[in-house]
Amino acid sequence: MSRIRLQGLTRRFGAVTAVDDMGLDIADGEFLVLLGPSGCGKSTLLRMIAGLLPPTEGRLWLGDTDITHLPPQRRDVAMVFQSYALYPHLSVASNIGFPLRTRKRPRAEIRAKVAEVAATLDLTGLLDRKPRELSGGQRQRVALGRALVRDPGAFLMDEPLSNLDAKLRAGTRAEIAELHRRLRTTTVYVTHDQVEAMTMATRIALLNEGRLEQLGTPSEVYDAPASVFAATFLGSPAMNVVDATVRSVDGVLRAEAEGLLLSLGIEADIPDRPVRLGVRPEHLTLTPAGKQGIRAVVTAVENLGSEEVAQCRAGHTAVSVRGPRPLGVTSGEAVTLAARPDRLHLFDQNSGRRLAWQAASVPEPV
Amino acid sequence: MTTEVVGESSRARRLGGHVVLGLLSLVCVFPIYWLYATSLRAPQDVSSLSVLPWPLSTASYTEAFAKNDVLGMLVNTGVVAVFSALGQLLVALLAAYAFAAWRFPFQRLLYLMFVGTWLVPFQATMLPNYVLLSRLGLLETLAGVIVPTLCSALGVLLLREHLNSFPKELLDAARMDGRTSWSALWTVVVPTLRPALAALGILLAISAWNEYFWPAMVLQRSNAVVQLGLRSFMGTEGNDWGPLMATAGLACLPVFALYLVLQRHIVNAFVRSGLK
Ligand SMILES: Nc1ncnc2c1ncn2[C@@H]1O[C@H](COP(=O)(O)OP(=O)(O)OP(=O)(O)O)[C@@H](O)[C@H]1O
Ligand SMILES: [Mg+2]
Repeated sequence: MSRIRLQGLTRRFGAVTAVDDMGLDIADGEFLVLLGPSGCGKSTLLRMIAGLLPPTEGRLWLGDTDITHLPPQRRDVAMVFQSYALYPHLSVASNIGFPLRTRKRPRAEIRAKVAEVAATLDLTGLLDRKPRELSGGQRQRVALGRALVRDPGAFLMDEPLSNLDAKLRAGTRAEIAELHRRLRTTTVYVTHDQVEAMTMATRIALLNEGRLEQLGTPSEVYDAPASVFAATFLGSPAMNVVDATVRSVDGVLRAEAEGLLLSLGIEADIPDRPVRLGVRPEHLTLTPAGKQGIRAVVTAVENLGSEEVAQCRAGHTAVSVRGPRPLGVTSGEAVTLAARPDRLHLFDQNSGRRLAWQAASVPEPV
Repeated sequence: MTTEVVGESSRARRLGGHVVLGLLSLVCVFPIYWLYATSLRAPQDVSSLSVLPWPLSTASYTEAFAKNDVLGMLVNTGVVAVFSALGQLLVALLAAYAFAAWRFPFQRLLYLMFVGTWLVPFQATMLPNYVLLSRLGLLETLAGVIVPTLCSALGVLLLREHLNSFPKELLDAARMDGRTSWSALWTVVVPTLRPALAALGILLAISAWNEYFWPAMVLQRSNAVVQLGLRSFMGTEGNDWGPLMATAGLACLPVFALYLVLQRHIVNAFVRSGLK
């Protein structure tokens, strides 16, 4: 049983709070991705789970054991480092077998286990090489092998793919996901790459400045971002966010701003309320000029191959639109953009938190 | 055509460089050659200035062996050099590892004090060390020569620099793989630092081998190490050049051997520590 639970986990470095009051419950077999911008405390959190860094406050459980004060060698977790951290003086086979030699396993068992892991990772022909004689992708697999060989209760991975080129990264991503499907070992995976997060995670924990911004499945985080930060962090190009006012006209709510008029499709009668209105680029459509929509001018069209992104300017804000190629607009053209009401996201103007409609009241912060 | 001209001039420059280097090495090698040449002259030719020692004679060596237990002295010197170098390496490794891989209170202060001992001149610690050895009854013993050298600030300084540039993630990886800090030191740090350790070890061994002053203080009544044995051929009525050169020549041999065998290691390690 390798459920990992964190309670109030905090780590301060002097005046800097790298991880702030983190609470997480990671189920057995889950693939949890810690996602966030550089410096948000992902590595710090992972190193605390690993036991490499003692927390300033808070507690940590693996299964039913309180491991807050256990050294790494007594926690049943394996880690893959960003730099791979292969032992330069040892061959691939010895690198993979290192954790087993530490545990004083019989030689024959080690050899068999190393061979098995090497076969899984397609390293069989490289067992006698030194790390410096390997390519980046091969080193990465050796690092993975060294973690796999232990059969640990949980894997911790700190940006294991960030040193690989784009193509290799896609391949290795699929391999790690496949490995997880087969082994079902609890995994905590750190990345700042949203594609990795969306494709591999069973759940994403989005971090911002040491705090948990949102926790949910990739679709939850993408479809219902809990805050402006979450909304703009995931998605490419980022979600468009504009300042607007929610107003009730003829008993129906709509969002208004200069050059912007979008119906929210909610029947209610409330006082005006300033909000931040978000809509994803792929949910905007080009429509004939009319009363409703966002009036904008195309400033550039980017070709992504199968799709195109039109960069537009609506009043003072930049808005991007994404759709199948060709979009049928050219730079300098005036367009009107529309979106379905259920594709619109409302956020509180001050806190940036998501607003949800609750009947019989004004929109409340979630 | 042009390429040929370029080739010619660069070849000429290279030739010039080699001539300069050749002359310099001649200057360096000549005294050593003279040492061995003198030791191989017959006793009556010892002060001859002929470049080639002829006729060759091993008389000087025979005399040196007759007068002193040269073999015993070489063994003793070897013991001093090896133990002093290994001891200093061990102390320096442990201290440097603690300073580089651990965090503890007053770390900087302790380190500065440690390194500060380097600035204390030998003459200032010589007498206290002597008195201490005499109280411990270690005068006139090899241990007395070795023990006071064991803590070398130079070694700590050099190894800490190496360890600071040692990737910390490797230590973390070793901890994740179940090693204690102690076992990570021996299974990960030491093998990775082997070239640096070898270079430092050789340096320390050679300087211990060549040490004259401190052994002369501790071993006043005996000629237990070879550098002291040399002084028995220097007398008030003149030096006994033949056996003196023979003994000195023998004393140099292990140093040359060490250097030849480990030359690549030494050069490598120094180049690399220079780049870091
Ligand atoms: N040993 C340390 N001493 C002082 N501050 C630290 C230390 N380690 C991390 N920090 C600080 O804690 C914060 C979080 O760092 P952390 O390495 O966890 O970020 P990260 O999310 O992993 O970033 P990246 O994506 O760049 O790896 C940063 O502001 C960093 O400067
Ligand atoms: Mg990091």
